[in-house]
Amino acid sequence: MTNPVTQDRRHFEDLAVGEVITLGHVTLTKQMIFDFAHEFDPLPFHIDEKAAKASLLGGLASSGWQTGALSLRMLVDSFLGTVASAGGLGFENLKWKTPFMVGDTIGGTVTIAQLRRSASHPQWGIVMLDFDIRNQKDKPVMSMRLANLVECREVVA
Amino acid sequence: MTRWFEDIVIDEVFPLGSHTFEEAEIIRFAKLYDPQYFHVDPERARQSHFGGIVASGWHTVSVGHRKMVDALSAESDRLRGLGQEPGVSGPSPGVNSMEFKTPVRPGDTVTYELIVTDKRHSNSLPGWGLLFNQLTARNQRNEIVYRADLVGFSKLRDYRTPLKLKVLLALTRLPVIGPRLRRST
Repeated sequence: MTNPVTQDRRHFEDLAVGEVITLGHVTLTKQMIFDFAHEFDPLPFHIDEKAAKASLLGGLASSGWQTGALSLRMLVDSFLGTVASAGGLGFENLKWKTPFMVGDTIGGTVTIAQLRRSASHPQWGIVMLDFDIRNQKDKPVMSMRLANLVECREVVA
Repeated sequence: MTRWFEDIVIDEVFPLGSHTFEEAEIIRFAKLYDPQYFHVDPERARQSHFGGIVASGWHTVSVGHRKMVDALSAESDRLRGLGQEPGVSGPSPGVNSMEFKTPVRPGDTVTYELIVTDKRHSNSLPGWGLLFNQLTARNQRNEIVYRADLVGFSKLRDYRTPLKLKVLLALTRLPVIGPRLRRST
């Protein structure tokens, strides 16, 4: 069954281990931190500048979950939106390494680490994606391995 | 946890409450952070294997984090109400694993719970302990939406700073010697 939305996108068979996806960039503003933190992480050091200055980080930084969400957005723009993605399965070994502070810019790369056919669903393959998110000083900010489903062109029984 | 490290009971179930996901908020979150067609476009989402809009996994996880923050601050308030000093939780170094099992559709109600499965003293941060937290999210049919193994820092109540470290810390506060010591350590 062809999916009209994804038929012209790259499928599982078109991907190769070792392919490096270069992400775009995103610069963190105070408003972005406040908007996310008020909804999902309302700790004083994410929503109040004075509390942030007095905290271990010494200033306003994004919630770790916001750093992850912004990294995901960069992956959708550079990769997931151009392949026949069928959704995420999860991730492992997520590490927050350096705080993402207000005014910082992140970018980075995502590498295809593994490709395998789904054992239970012959119409899908699983792509393992290694994130290396860095700030403007080239310091590692976050890493993780994400597992995502991709539609196969040919269903192998 | 906003209990002290020493007071945290392994395998005690900590209910975090529920959240109902409306279509508008699913689309609003996904437009910002995960704009794949099955998260943002009800019409085209019908062509996907989901058969309609589903929430970004990152959205359900972010709401789970909010539920945890709210439950822990409520626990702090409860302890203060009893005249006790609540514990201190520190930053999270990361997530060991996160498995998305059942998609969340508009109108679904997700209930979250937290269990500390293990704890130990930190090797790298004196005075702190590490908590191994398992967060489970279930929908209204009791299907598991996601399960996560998270790591967090928690302050030790009974920790006494060793004399050597106390002397060193006092020295770093002195003029002249202090800045030199801070630079060299």
